[in-house]
Amino acid sequence: MSSDFQEQSGAVQVRGGLTHRQKTLLNVAALLCCLGILALFSRYGSEYHVRILNNMAIFITLAVSYNLVNGVCGILHLGPNAFVAIGAYTSALLTLSPSEKQINFIINDLIWPLSIVQVPFALSLVAAGIMAALFAFIISFPVFRVRGDYLAIVTFGFGEVVRVLCNAAQSITNGPLGLKNLEPYTNLWWSWGIAILTIVSITKLINSSYGRAMKAIREDETAARAMGIDPFRQLLLAFLISAFFSGIAGGLLAHLITTISPTLFMFTLTFNLLIIIVVGGLGSTTGAVIGAILFAWGGEALRIVENPMDIGIITIPGIPGMRMVVFSLILMLVIIFAGHGIFGRNEFSWEMLARICLRGGKRVGSP
Amino acid sequence: MSFFEMRHVIVQFGGLCAVCDFSIALSAGQLVGLIGPNGAGKTTVFNTITGFITPDEGDIFWQGENIRAYPAHRVTASGIARTFQNIRLFADMTVLENVMVSFHYSIQSDFLHAMVGSPKYRRVEAEIREKSRRYLYELGLGHLSSEKAATLAYGQQRRLEIARALATGPKLLLLDEPAAGMNPIETIELAALIRLIRDKYGVTVFLIEHDMKFVMGLCERIKVLDYGKSIAEGTPTEIQKDIKVIKAYLGSGYYAAG
Amino acid sequence: MTNTIFLQQLVNGVSVGSLYALVAIGYTMVYGILRLINFAHGDLLMVAAYAAIFGMGIFSNSWIAFPLAIIITGCIGILLDRTAYKPLRNAPRISLLISAIGASFLLENLFLVIFGGVPKPFPRPDFFASVIDIGALRIPVLTIYAPIITILLFLGLLYIVYRTKAGKAMRAASRDFETTRLMGINLDRIIALTFLLGSCLAAAGGIMWAMKYPQVNPFMGIFPGIKAFVAAVLGGIGNITGALVGGFLLGLGEIMIVALMPELAQYRDALAFVILILVLLFRPRGIMGETIVE
Repeated sequence: MSSDFQEQSGAVQVRGGLTHRQKTLLNVAALLCCLGILALFSRYGSEYHVRILNNMAIFITLAVSYNLVNGVCGILHLGPNAFVAIGAYTSALLTLSPSEKQINFIINDLIWPLSIVQVPFALSLVAAGIMAALFAFIISFPVFRVRGDYLAIVTFGFGEVVRVLCNAAQSITNGPLGLKNLEPYTNLWWSWGIAILTIVSITKLINSSYGRAMKAIREDETAARAMGIDPFRQLLLAFLISAFFSGIAGGLLAHLITTISPTLFMFTLTFNLLIIIVVGGLGSTTGAVIGAILFAWGGEALRIVENPMDIGIITIPGIPGMRMVVFSLILMLVIIFAGHGIFGRNEFSWEMLARICLRGGKRVGSP
Repeated sequence: MSFFEMRHVIVQFGGLCAVCDFSIALSAGQLVGLIGPNGAGKTTVFNTITGFITPDEGDIFWQGENIRAYPAHRVTASGIARTFQNIRLFADMTVLENVMVSFHYSIQSDFLHAMVGSPKYRRVEAEIREKSRRYLYELGLGHLSSEKAATLAYGQQRRLEIARALATGPKLLLLDEPAAGMNPIETIELAALIRLIRDKYGVTVFLIEHDMKFVMGLCERIKVLDYGKSIAEGTPTEIQKDIKVIKAYLGSGYYAAG
Repeated sequence: MTNTIFLQQLVNGVSVGSLYALVAIGYTMVYGILRLINFAHGDLLMVAAYAAIFGMGIFSNSWIAFPLAIIITGCIGILLDRTAYKPLRNAPRISLLISAIGASFLLENLFLVIFGGVPKPFPRPDFFASVIDIGALRIPVLTIYAPIITILLFLGLLYIVYRTKAGKAMRAASRDFETTRLMGINLDRIIALTFLLGSCLAAAGGIMWAMKYPQVNPFMGIFPGIKAFVAAVLGGIGNITGALVGGFLLGLGEIMIVALMPELAQYRDALAFVILILVLLFRPRGIMGETIVE
């Protein structure tokens, strides 16, 4: 199935009956359909639904870009929370008005150039992506000297270092107080626009020669080197692109919840992304999208276990931590008993959809 | 200056000499075999040439350059490709994709073109696909191009490794025990295939093999390695008569398999 | 800085270091055999602290409660391996690591659900509570006992690893997993023993940690755990003596750097990672271990 997907990008004739043109048509139709739904929701949707949809889109952006590193390149990177944090702070500091900044920074003053600049939201998002990618570039040299468990712990370390810096560098981040009163710029158009852009461009990358090189490294790094591939360059590319989109998502997140502080970017964020891509299927962009949708929806549904529940006569007190217990159990059960997740390494394709419909929707691509 | 030359190469593993003062010169278009008892250091010689091991001493000259300190991917880009003793395919990728990977180092398009799927990039991709198909048909794997590499039969996997190495566009091809695990018929086919590759693509072939009949029938020159040292070099007939070679093999209790 | 404060910090550094060392040994032992960073190892420290609190609640005698807590933690260590790692022995590395992270989160949040997030005070027995004066120095006896207990436990471990049959099998397994299996040694039992020993040492470390910083909460194991891991890498992962040395060095280094440069205090938790990265960059095999950069 993944080969179906690749055929699409290269040759004109595609196995399974659909031509390139027909597929493009279907893709455009699907996109228009999405836009229609978004238009409906942004007009008539309740605040609650709109918030969940915004969350969903941001998680999709994060999961798809995280999957590029963890699923496609096959390395366990544990520091995406750092990318998101850098993106969120960058973008927030750039959109806050100078007067708002003065109100925010009561203990230490914000350092000079930042204290007076203010740029449009779009520009701040680009800056967020670039800053996150810049950070990824700097840490890539120690990170990619090691592999496996060590790479995991080093990236985890950088994630923690960024969080410590957010707390400590008060004249930039305002320390533990965080930044408040951001303009709620993030709406459905922004969040889903970025999500779709991320999906499309990362899918194209994965299906290109670059993606193949990344997968080759995942499958057998020694053999990949013998085929002329420089692992450092390929991993760096994946890392930078992943950081860029994660940074943008961070900017969106900041302007969605309008208040950011270091606690928002703890390891738990990375853990959630890990669940999403594992449940969806490590290495599958489709899986990452489905996983993110399930997570945004399920996470909201699970909130009830942590809030006090009132069933008529008795009130069941909320249990803090229960949500994470459920999530970690899901993660462990999936990785132990269903290591391939929902999609394995397969991707959505129109042929697959047709096959499922014809078969009565019984099986969803088993690996 | 010869086509390819190793001069006094020494590789040590924790004080143990895996390759001791090894020298060899290859001329263009030759079919050369490297033989020796188990543990003689043959694969280490290959790993040293291909940049997976940097020799402790000595030089490796390839087309006028000293490549002793090149990393593996640069050696490949300079025109030396290899296969592995224990097959190393990209198991979860298709046969076609396995070969397409070999073109990556030489593509002339940057990743932004790939990410937006520009017409320029699509041309590159189509070209890679076409060339890869040709290599697969050449090696009799054309009908398997959309299968996962892991599902291939053993002999097919060996051939896919050769296809993949060939697709990097080498002038020197190193084959590490290409006939291992093949039946006699497959072995004969393989010998014909290697000759064809040499003649058609003009590559020089340097191979390690335990099957003496295969080596003696195929190679024009043979180098014999024992305990990391070169003990003989010559044509198959010379080697077969060489007393040191016979001693090395019989001494270690090894009989040439037929 | 006066000599007194310097000495005080020195002793404190050795003491904290000894706790890192106890936890680091467990990391290194598991890594030696399974080539796995047991992310949940630090959480065993927290498990031990809770177990000790409950033991004290029931027996109100630390000589019963503490050993019991250590044994319980050891068993949980084995359970951890059986449930989270054993099913994945032949799976890709990344799955094993993800399972380890999941196990770590599960332990933390399970304890959060059961015991709540409010830190519990740790009942410090009199034996460990007193303070002794040496000249101008005022040192809690725990600060002195911790390194001594650590060294004693370490010697006990060395005895098991180098003088017993099981220890021999453990060393064989860490050399060559497959061959050891072929030699007819029951690897599962060896792995269980490894987890048992490592977890018991972590538990001892955890109880002393809780006496030193008597605030027990479900997340207290994370940072000591990570630092102990750094100590294991610093000493040379896979090497027990290296873990001990690494632990002492890290504890000492961390306390002394903050003592000498107080302005770095707020970066203290990031310091361990800086050390980790420097070690991986410049001396990947640590002080006395195998190489890890291929």
